[in-house]
Amino acid sequence: MIATLGYSALLLAFLFALLGAATPLLAARTPMRAASGTVWLAIWGQFVLVTLAACALIYALVAPDFSIRYVAFNTTRATPLYYRITGLWGALEGSLLLWEWILIVFSGLVAWIYRHRHREFMPWVLMVFSIVSAFFLGVLAFASSPFETISPVPPDGRGLNPLLEDANMMTHPPLLYTGFVGLTVPYAFAMAALIVGRLDEAWIITTRRWTIAAWFFLTAGNLVGAWWSYHVLGWGGYWAWDPVENAAFMPWLPTTAFLHSIQVQERRRMLKVWNLSLIMIAFSLTLFGTFLTRSGILSSIHAFSSGPVGSLFLGFLALVLLGSFGLLAYRSDLLKGQPELDSVLSRESAFLLNNIVLVSALFTIFLGTVFPLLSEAVAGVQVSVGAPYFNSATTPLFLFMVFLMAVGPIIAWRKASWDNLKRNFLRPAAASLAAGLVLFILGVREFLPLLGFTLVAFVILTIVYDTALALRARRRIAGEGIISGLVTLARRNQRRYAGFVVHLGVVLIVMGIAGSMSYSIEREATLGLNETLTIGAYRIRFEGLKGSQQPTHFRVEGSFRLFRHGVEAGVLSPALKFFPTQEAPVGRAVHRSTLAEDVYLILSGFSEVNRNQATLKALVRPLVVWIWIGGFVIVLGTLLSILPLGKNAARGGD
Amino acid sequence: MRKNRRFLIGGLIILAALSYMIYGGMQEALVYFVTPSELKAQQPSPTDKFLRMGGLVVKGSLQKDLQNLTYRFEITDGATSVPVFFRGVPPDLFGDGKGAVVEGRLGSDGVFHASAIMAKHAEEYSPHPDGQDSYPRSFVPAREPLIK
Repeated sequence: MIATLGYSALLLAFLFALLGAATPLLAARTPMRAASGTVWLAIWGQFVLVTLAACALIYALVAPDFSIRYVAFNTTRATPLYYRITGLWGALEGSLLLWEWILIVFSGLVAWIYRHRHREFMPWVLMVFSIVSAFFLGVLAFASSPFETISPVPPDGRGLNPLLEDANMMTHPPLLYTGFVGLTVPYAFAMAALIVGRLDEAWIITTRRWTIAAWFFLTAGNLVGAWWSYHVLGWGGYWAWDPVENAAFMPWLPTTAFLHSIQVQERRRMLKVWNLSLIMIAFSLTLFGTFLTRSGILSSIHAFSSGPVGSLFLGFLALVLLGSFGLLAYRSDLLKGQPELDSVLSRESAFLLNNIVLVSALFTIFLGTVFPLLSEAVAGVQVSVGAPYFNSATTPLFLFMVFLMAVGPIIAWRKASWDNLKRNFLRPAAASLAAGLVLFILGVREFLPLLGFTLVAFVILTIVYDTALALRARRRIAGEGIISGLVTLARRNQRRYAGFVVHLGVVLIVMGIAGSMSYSIEREATLGLNETLTIGAYRIRFEGLKGSQQPTHFRVEGSFRLFRHGVEAGVLSPALKFFPTQEAPVGRAVHRSTLAEDVYLILSGFSEVNRNQATLKALVRPLVVWIWIGGFVIVLGTLLSILPLGKNAARGGD
Repeated sequence: MRKNRRFLIGGLIILAALSYMIYGGMQEALVYFVTPSELKAQQPSPTDKFLRMGGLVVKGSLQKDLQNLTYRFEITDGATSVPVFFRGVPPDLFGDGKGAVVEGRLGSDGVFHASAIMAKHAEEYSPHPDGQDSYPRSFVPAREPLIK
């Protein structure tokens, strides 16, 4: 019953999507006004029907209705309500439906917000949305339906993958998907601009906030993912250059580049083709990422595709790339002739360099991710590209990017004079070199982390120095104090100061990564009762194991008392979770955080016969907590940049 | 025209630097995947190469020493098997008769010295093959499996 309802809604929505995709093309000769009415109808039709389908699946998961295969495979009677709902994105079919749902919510929002504006663009924008939506609905309806039924109906389901039974399941996938899907908005406007042939800055100015929002969700999604793997997966890391992680990170790079280079177009009308290309690449990478993670091409080395979904994504990706760049080539005559760079010492060129660095990073990561596939397809040799490749190839690029974060927002547009450079950068540069020297004396001797920390200091100091100069000026002009001066500055020049805050957040993350990558220590040992393990400043004493039955699993917890420099610092209880349907236990790591370092414990195993013995893996990872603090600072900066605070708001955008 | 040439040169320099970084990184981090048979077939034995070897842990070959955290076992692809030595904590999924990928170098003694053992969690996990749960017997007495 509920399956039929959900499936019919998907089929009907598919028809509406086709209608939305076809109307503007068919109506090319008739007045656009009639066409836009039909496209509108198509969007709202999809909105209602897809929402209905998603609610049907959620209802089936909550009920639970085991006659639906997806429900039977992703919940059990014992699954708490919370995880039944998150079961919506617990596996392939449901996550595709969630993606489609977010997509159609976005297109509904766009259609509603611009209902009286951009009459020229809107039918085409909504057409692009409908085409993307038609693809997803086609996959959902004909290739991997979440409403497929199963008979005989099993008495109980198999349950969510135990690895997914975690609080972060509530946030990480929806955040990431919202980021992915959010990129469709600037992409659709870019396509509309190309189709209509209005290639001025209109599409960029309209979609800037949408892009910032999408960027924000991508950033948050990736950080929460890192947090999740750090806290749960029990290997002590937050990033492993796993292809799945790369797939989520890759769209972030061209989006970040885009957010910088559109400022050059807004200000100087340069880089038109470049900006269009960046957003096409970013959008394509969201599809590519889904293809990578959903085709099974990576998890099984031999099978190129475990189902039809992978090849469908590849086909659609090819279509998107051909269509987008074909359109770009078709309009090339409209894109010719733009102002040239005046000087290498200018903000334009800093932004250009920033773009080159980000795209280079994207290229190296892309290459490392697909190299195993190419190697097997072309040469038949199975290889894997390990983390050392990604680290060594991207570290110099990211360090250079940190340097640019100090220079870019402060150097003058068009042409910076030496005087100007000296005034803005001499003191922060000298101070950061001094900071580097102090670190060297304190014992930071390795080149890359030392350079990293010095550059981080350079960014922070330039930002602080620039703000201090502005505050001093405000004090002279208006007699304002520090707080009211900061408020005035933020209101008067919201974008600049929001950018500063985001950059601060990013360099804090860089600091956390540099510290934890370079100075972590790791020990493992099998301990008897009251035996201790010493690691860094810590002594860890094993004080026994206890077991307890949880709603979905049986948990064995080890109790470890922590001493730091001989002073007691609490008890940590890493655990192993045994799920009835899972062959191997799932670890639950625990850690104690300070601003300086984390001590991180993993229960690796225990004796089956003797309860008084456990194998412990312990890590001390410096500065990790700054990664999460940096994440919060980025949240603040992004809010500051899109909230209507100051004078910009009155003008309705920037 | 002069400006274009300058950009071209700049671009080429960047491209060259990038290619060098990529090439250097690849040299360091490219890990070849072999089966035990392929490893044995290579003459002379490649003791200098960092490799990944995949197969099944031969049933009954696993000897653990929990005190020193050392593991000795054999990996087979059905035709040939190679002895492996590993010190550390293997992943949860590792065990007798299970599939595993080991990463390391072949020693001159013919033993593969692994620095890491990998066992990948399948995304769609499957129930225990014998229909049994895997609860730790030292904590929970054996009982009826939850799912038949």
